[in-house]
Amino acid sequence: MGRIKNDEALKRREFLQLILGSSVGLFLSPAQAFMRTTGQKETELKVLALGFDGMDPNLVNRYLKEGKLPYFQKLAASGSFLPLQSSLPPQSPVAWANFINGTDPGGHAIFDFVHRDPKNYLPIFSASESLPSEHNLKLGKLIVPISGGEIRNLRQGRAFWQILEDYDIPSTIFKIPSNYPPVETKQKTLSGMGTPDLKGYYGLFNYYTNEYKTVTEEYGGGGRVHDVYVIGNRVEARIPGPNNPFKEGHPETYVNFKVFLDPVNPVAKIQYQDQEFILREKEWSDWKKIRFEFIPTQSVSGICLFYLKELRPKFKLYVSPINIDPAEPALPISTPESYARELARKFGPFFTKGLPADTAALENDILDEKEFLYQDDLIYQESMAMLEEELKNFHSGLLFYYFSNTDQRQHMFFRLIDRNHPAYDENLAKEFGQVIENTYREMDKALQLAMEKVDRRTLIIVMSDHGFCPFRRGFNLNTWLLRNGYHYLRPGLRPEEVTLFQTTDWARTRAYGVGLNALYLNLKGREAQGIVSPEEKGALLKELASKLEQVTDPLTGERVILKAYLSQEVFRGPYVSEAPDIILGFNRNYRISWNSPLGNFPREIIESNPQKWSGDHMAAPGLIPGILLANEPARLQDPALEDITAGILSAFAVKIPPEITGRPAFGKPD
Amino acid sequence: MILISFLTALLMLFIYKKTSNQAAIKQVKSQIKASLLELRLYQNDFRTLLSSQKELLTANWRYLLLNFKPLLIMIIPIFLILAQLNLWFNYKSIQPGETFLLKVKFIDEVDMEGINLDLKAPKGLTVETPVLRIIDEKEADWRLRLEDQVSEALIITVNGQRFQKEIPSIKNSLGRVSTIRVRKNLWQELLYPGEKPLPAESVIKRIEVVYPEQRLNCLGIGFHWLVAYFLLSIIFGLALKRPFKVEI
Repeated sequence: MGRIKNDEALKRREFLQLILGSSVGLFLSPAQAFMRTTGQKETELKVLALGFDGMDPNLVNRYLKEGKLPYFQKLAASGSFLPLQSSLPPQSPVAWANFINGTDPGGHAIFDFVHRDPKNYLPIFSASESLPSEHNLKLGKLIVPISGGEIRNLRQGRAFWQILEDYDIPSTIFKIPSNYPPVETKQKTLSGMGTPDLKGYYGLFNYYTNEYKTVTEEYGGGGRVHDVYVIGNRVEARIPGPNNPFKEGHPETYVNFKVFLDPVNPVAKIQYQDQEFILREKEWSDWKKIRFEFIPTQSVSGICLFYLKELRPKFKLYVSPINIDPAEPALPISTPESYARELARKFGPFFTKGLPADTAALENDILDEKEFLYQDDLIYQESMAMLEEELKNFHSGLLFYYFSNTDQRQHMFFRLIDRNHPAYDENLAKEFGQVIENTYREMDKALQLAMEKVDRRTLIIVMSDHGFCPFRRGFNLNTWLLRNGYHYLRPGLRPEEVTLFQTTDWARTRAYGVGLNALYLNLKGREAQGIVSPEEKGALLKELASKLEQVTDPLTGERVILKAYLSQEVFRGPYVSEAPDIILGFNRNYRISWNSPLGNFPREIIESNPQKWSGDHMAAPGLIPGILLANEPARLQDPALEDITAGILSAFAVKIPPEITGRPAFGKPD
Repeated sequence: MILISFLTALLMLFIYKKTSNQAAIKQVKSQIKASLLELRLYQNDFRTLLSSQKELLTANWRYLLLNFKPLLIMIIPIFLILAQLNLWFNYKSIQPGETFLLKVKFIDEVDMEGINLDLKAPKGLTVETPVLRIIDEKEADWRLRLEDQVSEALIITVNGQRFQKEIPSIKNSLGRVSTIRVRKNLWQELLYPGEKPLPAESVIKRIEVVYPEQRLNCLGIGFHWLVAYFLLSIIFGLALKRPFKVEI
């Protein structure tokens, strides 16, 4: 999956808050507890689909040849191993939505991580939206919502497990991306990528330190640094929680906590609410509950991990993003609602944040590689334990199970297998150069577990949504548009100071870029201040596409964009009109820059990427296919994600609805 | 819990019957009923209404006074029962693999920085952290992990003086969990009767193992044991008052 990084942390925070901010207080849980759960039918065939996000066919091939993935080898030998055509663009929310709906993005309306609101050109998240309560009673500074708010999944169309439900075929869908909040169903589903933390962010860590260099009130990229003082071997600070929807101005809630340091020994006690626990230096806590109170009768519960990074000479304490407590979910994370609680009863607290790995903490040097991997390994161990449990309960129908580690670790560690990457480090490569290979081997163990637990009547599918390639250089689309006369700024700020198109002269601007692969025309009748007439549109798009495909990197001489796709030509379905006008298919090693996606205009058109976030997947889909392995031969030579959907329905002898554009990758021929 | 609540109800009814003025209570309750009846019958007669309300308040006040003595007497056995029940119902025992805190509180005169402290864990327990001293709170803490059933006590040595703390055994159902051992002091001993007190001249005020609290479960709803205990005792008390001819 991709990620947006913005140097201006406050703006990013405001933007996120704008989108997700008070969602915690909006959720009034529907009465799902007594609904009958999941289909009842005893199916002759069972389907197990393991989703390894971002698993790359080239790397799989390499490790297969080296004999490092014995169970992948076994599965491939028993059926098929093919590259799997990813979505356009090959971003995780888009790709998994293709699989969920069995269509291209024209059928589900997720075209990028980020869309834009044509009324004001501002970026909005594509996956979900929070709508506040429409009717509130104001009593002084207290706000009493009369009606419930709503959190809406913006993926359109029907999920394949909803179709299976029509046929009474039971399904368990574990952490599939692009399903937050989970769509209404009686099947067991747990939301994955897209699920926010308790504050409404996609992960906001807290870091408490008295180190001078990192003492800033806000810290970009998904974290906050809190300036603390060690006085009398004691630190006092607060953990910020969700905004209070019951109070005027929605102030941020918080929980005070104390840390007691031993005067000599490298050990400290952390104390808040009814929690008190001791950590040694460089030690992680287990999950700790934390409760944020809105008003005396209303509060929400979260869970977080503490890591005592250093006690002396500097005090450094990391607190993970506060995950929604699955035992008392403040937001809808499962269907039925009791499913999350059932898992919490069996396993205790578990990661509920969509992408649980804290890549922002690694990126910002809050956690080092080893510490990041420790946390990510907790995620892997938890996934394995839960997979084992789900396999034990898998008696009929379908089980889809998702792993995020492959994607997150490739994003962060590609620099250590790519000697030409600007962030390549010889010493780190010696220590962590095997991380990606080890991750693939861990997925082989997950497959081993699955293969050993399922019976002979199970169709096993192993799939990934896209592959990976290095991200060495970033392309500033908006700067390119500006320099080529398609975008204009009003005088005042220098272009590199502009953010969120704040000085764009829309009366002269013909095109703009928002999101990770998307270019929009400033179209008359669609955009609030559109100037491009429908008659001009076709020619302008062709001109832009042609020019973009010719952009070459002066440093390498390589083309930056392999293909600029016109959405009207490549998408089908009822939502094509909502698509960006051009989807950029980057060349290998290239991607959109960090600053362009949110309407910024950095100085350089193409710049190096010195970050730890060093692998990515925004290339033309043909360059980074996913993988498909199964224990039966595939019916297609060039399967795509949506063909697996059709294949699953076909395997259960379910009639494929006309809106599904995929061709069955499995099942008996018609 | 049901049995204990039932026995408590019986005991309380007995004490109440023996220590209260049953005839006076009966009379005052009749008076309250009569005043209430008057209030309904003479709704249009303002003077009678006022006078009835005055009588009602007086009767209520008398009723409270009549209850004061038996309640005062009942507090003593209730307190003793609660202290015992706390041992049985308030805490879950730790299971192998789980960790817990050991907290030792010292008297104010102890110099925490100069103190010589040692903790010896019996077989089945691992001390996971070095000692953590909180100087201004006169406290020393450790984190321990239970590996297996423990049959011996923990030994804390302070400046050469040895103190013991028992480790509650692993239980899967009902069992006694003594989490706190206190210094000799009547009030403290009544509150924490689980273990023999520490000597009165001890430098340690109390030794505590921090165990998770337990909640009783009824139809999937968790209750604090106190809620369940009082609720059940009241229900049994009300149900048994007639057969035992107790006027409450």
